[in-house]
Amino acid sequence: MKKLKRFDIILIGFLLFASLVLFTVFGTIKRKGKRVVIKQNDTVVYSGELSKDGEVSLKHNTVKIENGEVFMKSADCKNQICVKTGKISKSGETIICLPNKVIVEIE
Amino acid sequence: MSSKQSDSGNRIKSLTVYSLLCAFCIVCGYIEFLIPTAAIAPGVKLGISNSVALVLLIKGDIKGAFAVNITRILLSALLFGSPFSLLFSFCAGVISTVVCAVLIKMPKLSPIGVSVAGAVCHNTVQIAIASFIFGKGVWFYLPVLILSGVICGTAIGLLGIVLTEKIKSDF
Ligand SMILES: [Zn+2]
Repeated sequence: MKKLKRFDIILIGFLLFASLVLFTVFGTIKRKGKRVVIKQNDTVVYSGELSKDGEVSLKHNTVKIENGEVFMKSADCKNQICVKTGKISKSGETIICLPNKVIVEIE
Repeated sequence: MSSKQSDSGNRIKSLTVYSLLCAFCIVCGYIEFLIPTAAIAPGVKLGISNSVALVLLIKGDIKGAFAVNITRILLSALLFGSPFSLLFSFCAGVISTVVCAVLIKMPKLSPIGVSVAGAVCHNTVQIAIASFIFGKGVWFYLPVLILSGVICGTAIGLLGIVLTEKIKSDF
């Protein structure tokens, strides 16, 4: 690729290396989560066991806990990013609904 | 034609071009909004509209790059977003445009590197803002967002170079 210059390669190489290191570091921190914590406007509105199946209905969002996994079942936000995030199960993982200021966290 | 008339003619011409570019950006943004790239991680986006600002930067039109980027962010937020999403896209958009505007002057860096740096900055700023609101848990997304920034930034950089070569006329 003749368009690439030396600093491009250094920059891209550094960033790839950095993300690889972070992946490994975070990957070792991440383990199977125990608790589901749901916060709205930075206040905890729900906290429960990940192993216990159930559904949490908030004003704008519905969170479902099933088979040790959590996902956003429905939301009334425009972008639906939270719903598209899919299932999470490891500690530190999150589902964020920015418009409704809802965050689902696994601890 | 007097110089005054041609001046206003030029202003109308560049205003029209900038408006068209903004409209193009917003359409691109809407198409991306329909593609569920956010399933990879929240905030993952190709950012085709950034190629417009990049072309303007390559052509040395720093003011134009800022004008188009800020206008498209405000209009997109108005059309598809919320005041809250505006905070994210505005901060990230302005900071990454500043970074690109500075780096484009570096002779050893091609527009690809500039675009990659801009994309990674954009994503990092978004995580930083998110961490203020949602807590430090969101930093888990950093490696994914760096990687997506490198991939998308490279693609947009290439697109910017190709577009600059194709568009011969000055704005
Ligand atoms: Zn949502």
